[in-house]
Amino acid sequence: MRISLRAAALASVAVLAAAGCSGTADPTTTGGAGPLAGQSLEVAGTWSGTEQESFQQVLDAFATKTGATVKYTSGGDDLAALINSRLAGGSPPDVALIPQPGVVNEFARKGAIKELTGEAATAVAANFSPAWQQLGSVDGKLYGVYFKVANKSVVWYRTDKFAEAGVQPPATWEDFVKVTKTLADAGISPMAVPGGDGWTLTDWFENVYLRVGGSENYDKLSRHEIAWTDPTVVQTLQLLGQYWGDAKAVQGGAKGAVQLKFTQSIADVFGEKPQSAMLFEGDFVAAEINKLGKVKVGEGAKFFDWPAVNGSKPAVVTAGDQAVAFKDSPAAQQLIAFLASPEAAKIMAAKGGFLSANKNLDTKAYPDPTTVALAESVVKADLLRFDLSDLTPQTFGGGTGASMWRLLQDFLTNPADPAGTAAKLEAAAKKDFGGK
Amino acid sequence: MTRASEPVGEVVTAVAVHGSQAPVDGQTPTAAPRADRPGAPGARSARREGQPWKDKLTSVWFLAPAVIVLLTLVAYPIVYTVWLSLHSSDGASFVGIDNYVRMFTAPETRHAIVNNIVWVVVAPSLVTAMGLVFAVLIERVRLASVFKAVVFMPMAISFLAAGVTFRMVYDESPDRGLLNAAVVTVHDAFSPPSQYFGARPRDGAPLTEAAGGFETTATTGTTVLMPLVGLPQDRVPADAVPAAAPPGGGLAGVVWLDFTPGGGGTAGVIDPVERGLPAITVQALRDGAVVATTQTGPDGRFAFAGLADGGYTVRLSPDNFTAPFNGVTWLGPSLVTPSIILAYIWIWAGFAMVLITAGLSAIPRDALEAARVDGASEWQVFRRVTVPLVRPVLVVVLVTLTINVLKIFDLVMVLAPESSQDDANVIALQMYRVSFGGGLDFGLGSALGVLLFLLVLPAMLFNIRRMRREQR
Amino acid sequence: MSVDIDTRVPDLVPAGVAPTGPPRRSLVSRLVGRLGSTAVNVVVAVLGVFWLAPVVGLAVASLRTTADNSSTGWWTVLTEPSRLTLDNYAALMRNESVLHSLWNTVLITVPSTVLVVVLGALAAYALAWIEFPGRDWLFVLIVALIVVPVQVAIIPDAKLFGSLGVYGSIAAVIAFHVAFGLPFAIFLLRNFFLAIPKDLLEAARMDGGRDFTIFRRVVLPIGWPAIASLAIFQFLWVWNDLLVALVFATSDNAPITYTLREQMRAFSSNVDVIGPGAFLSMVVPLVVFFAFQRYFVQGVLAGSVK
Repeated sequence: MRISLRAAALASVAVLAAAGCSGTADPTTTGGAGPLAGQSLEVAGTWSGTEQESFQQVLDAFATKTGATVKYTSGGDDLAALINSRLAGGSPPDVALIPQPGVVNEFARKGAIKELTGEAATAVAANFSPAWQQLGSVDGKLYGVYFKVANKSVVWYRTDKFAEAGVQPPATWEDFVKVTKTLADAGISPMAVPGGDGWTLTDWFENVYLRVGGSENYDKLSRHEIAWTDPTVVQTLQLLGQYWGDAKAVQGGAKGAVQLKFTQSIADVFGEKPQSAMLFEGDFVAAEINKLGKVKVGEGAKFFDWPAVNGSKPAVVTAGDQAVAFKDSPAAQQLIAFLASPEAAKIMAAKGGFLSANKNLDTKAYPDPTTVALAESVVKADLLRFDLSDLTPQTFGGGTGASMWRLLQDFLTNPADPAGTAAKLEAAAKKDFGGK
Repeated sequence: MTRASEPVGEVVTAVAVHGSQAPVDGQTPTAAPRADRPGAPGARSARREGQPWKDKLTSVWFLAPAVIVLLTLVAYPIVYTVWLSLHSSDGASFVGIDNYVRMFTAPETRHAIVNNIVWVVVAPSLVTAMGLVFAVLIERVRLASVFKAVVFMPMAISFLAAGVTFRMVYDESPDRGLLNAAVVTVHDAFSPPSQYFGARPRDGAPLTEAAGGFETTATTGTTVLMPLVGLPQDRVPADAVPAAAPPGGGLAGVVWLDFTPGGGGTAGVIDPVERGLPAITVQALRDGAVVATTQTGPDGRFAFAGLADGGYTVRLSPDNFTAPFNGVTWLGPSLVTPSIILAYIWIWAGFAMVLITAGLSAIPRDALEAARVDGASEWQVFRRVTVPLVRPVLVVVLVTLTINVLKIFDLVMVLAPESSQDDANVIALQMYRVSFGGGLDFGLGSALGVLLFLLVLPAMLFNIRRMRREQR
Repeated sequence: MSVDIDTRVPDLVPAGVAPTGPPRRSLVSRLVGRLGSTAVNVVVAVLGVFWLAPVVGLAVASLRTTADNSSTGWWTVLTEPSRLTLDNYAALMRNESVLHSLWNTVLITVPSTVLVVVLGALAAYALAWIEFPGRDWLFVLIVALIVVPVQVAIIPDAKLFGSLGVYGSIAAVIAFHVAFGLPFAIFLLRNFFLAIPKDLLEAARMDGGRDFTIFRRVVLPIGWPAIASLAIFQFLWVWNDLLVALVFATSDNAPITYTLREQMRAFSSNVDVIGPGAFLSMVVPLVVFFAFQRYFVQGVLAGSVK
């Protein structure tokens, strides 16, 4: 998830602005001959640095193929504000890659983004599973294609610690608890819970909730159509509370966990002085493990899918950047069609640190088997849900001090009262969802 | 620069300490001549009486840029903020004093206000006290100017950089955090952790916890099995050998690590590779009193010699399991505000020190010596002579710091971790959070802004009075 | 340099004191003083180390790898100095967002400082040397504005900038800094200008100088030290600011403080960027501090009333 504390604030003020400011102007790719020769396109996204460089190559390929001129603008964390002000000034980018579905919904309802038709729609239908098509739709109309996605339903572990304790990656919640206990018996701290970063706790909640409450309740809860005092929520909190409340299970106990930052937790599991055996967070942990350079992903560090609860089917909590078109031009539609193609995904996949939801992408495109496995579980999942906290209002799930983050941190510190926490979440939701 | 450096002394004199001088390099101040100020009545009549209109016109050109900026970006916004504070979050409807009521009743804002009060009461006086102590100390040391430069240096860096710096100082882990490393080193010097901390009985074993140790009951003639788990293999002493159950007779037993490396062992059974735990103190108790004490051997065996037959409580003494001290959670909910105040002292002590040093250098030496000759101790001299004489400077320092502390923002925002930011919250931070940090509640935000404004009003009056006094 | 107590004692023995008194006292007090001053020297040295340790820690940490920083404390380099590396700085030099924001800091700080000094000096001159009705009242009002917290103006100013279409731009950040820097600048310079000997100005007027000429030829050169102090203070104030940047700058136009804070929050938070970044952001203020210590201290002391 991209944490954007100020995005909403800036967006609102930016709306006041008559004309917009533009982002950094980045290298423009000039096309040659082709069907779109002479046309120019602007693409906006949050990426910068290496990601931007990789994406630039995708755009280059499009330019070479079609002859269009493509310019990339980076909006960083304030992409929504940038687009808002550009819309106010009447010059939105042709295409934007937006990480927040809530923002996309808003644009769709305002009519700012265009429905995907023609070859763009064909490309999406051909390359994406129904679950992904549904995530790209608002009110039944297709607007977006998920170009880059995340798999947030994996638990990373150290193979040496698992071997030392003689345990295997668990498939069910019961096994997960057993593995945890065996690790503790072996004198190994089982799990690092980076409660210092509230968003990681929301991911814990979402994964358990998707399995306990099921997809329908998950959707309803994300729109606050069922209360946070619902029995499924309480049951989820009970499971989490039992796990978190065991001082032997969590590194440093609850008090230590709530001080632990996410980056530090990666080092505490996969760094020079390993303390714990497991860490839960998305596929992006792999890049950080590689950066530390102490164990190799796929050898010393592996992952298992989030365990099933009460026989739940394989499910994935996901996040991703969605490409949407702000102009109804053939060029924009063609670019979206290109982004939906395996060809585009392949270029980015080869760079690493990238997962595609494109089912026709040959997994050979990924640099290593771990990435392949991470991507496969996203592509094949029948039950796929977007990160719930990203679907809720910002004050509830989207930033430092947000209610859900804070209340789950409190719950981590003192998990004795799941029903009480559920009631507090409901009270906060009533306020943050604007009385809906 | 001689000519130029003199009037600067005057600036400091006029603005900050009026009557004392405060450069770090300690040069003696020389006040610029003040006698024939143009503002004095005598000077006024001597000016070009013929062209008052021209003066007025020129003054417009000189003043207009600054005044326009101040009116549009400072003065008018104050009025607008007051207006906003009486309206709903989007400014659409008039809500009277609702925002103010909410400000004092909502737990988050009330907490921020309370914290700000703590800051105002504690921080300025601590900084001033620290500055006073430093100022008195450096009067007697050789490299005073070096020390002054070191202590003043934090004033140059941003609160953000200071926050990053102190995040490291306060790091939770004694391996990384400077403060916890120091605290733990000192603590461990007096009470080191035991060899077997973290070890606990295997679930299902008939051992119960008692005051940090583990105990079970047994009668003579039986073998007491005491399986422990939760101990990493690398903390088993090197001299340990595979455990073996003692032969029956007397009161005897075995303490061993009931975990087969790589898994596969049976719980509660001494598997072949499982090692005994040597040098554990074992006590035998009867009717709550210790009647015998022994230690386990390399194979984990222990035996009490010469006990009368009967039932005993066998206890693994708690001092085998003393947990290591892991340091203090400096940035946890309870200590976060004091910790941030400590960082604040680090930043501002130099400021107080330099001003007070200047005040001290203005004290007539004979007053101190006279007191010393009268037989007063150094402490008495300090209390009775020094402090009263520098009191005006202390007041200026206190007022300045109070204004500064009321507006404290960056340091709290950067230093307080997310999980305890609510516990460390202050008015300025809460104002930012409700109006820009996702809340978008411009009504409440404005009310908090107005509150801050009201709180600094006394300081504003203090400044104006001081300025008017100096005018004369 | 402060005065050494020991050398002063003999000077201060009053002539009229009974002959038996001084030698005894003086001997004792010298002994006590010697002992005490060693202790005091030690205490002060220890305190100095305390004050330096956090900054040294940051500096050292910025020279260690992420893996090292996340496993051991910076002081372990004392035993293993070979683990120090410049890699983080090399990486920082390739990190566009940090470099860009460092440049933004310069783009914001320099104009803010220059504008405050220029507008402040003009107004201060008028308030000090030009007669006009309401002058004193205007000055009192400006003094009153010195302590006004920015919180009481940020929302309206954000709206104002929004309606002018400059919200988020560097210009908006500068404008806000100038507005909140001016009251103090005017106050400081006006007091200083008042202290300029009247004869100098009168002489210039006699020579037929107009106000602007006098301002440029007489007041500015003499006022240089005060202007230097003010400029240094304003420079640091803006350089180190976080709040104004958070409210008024978009990430493209954001200064280094803002970007480092973003880095601290981001989930893939780069310890290896924050350390050297923070240290780099401190370098300029520290250089200013050590190069212009005297003006620096005076600027900060004077400006502390804000």
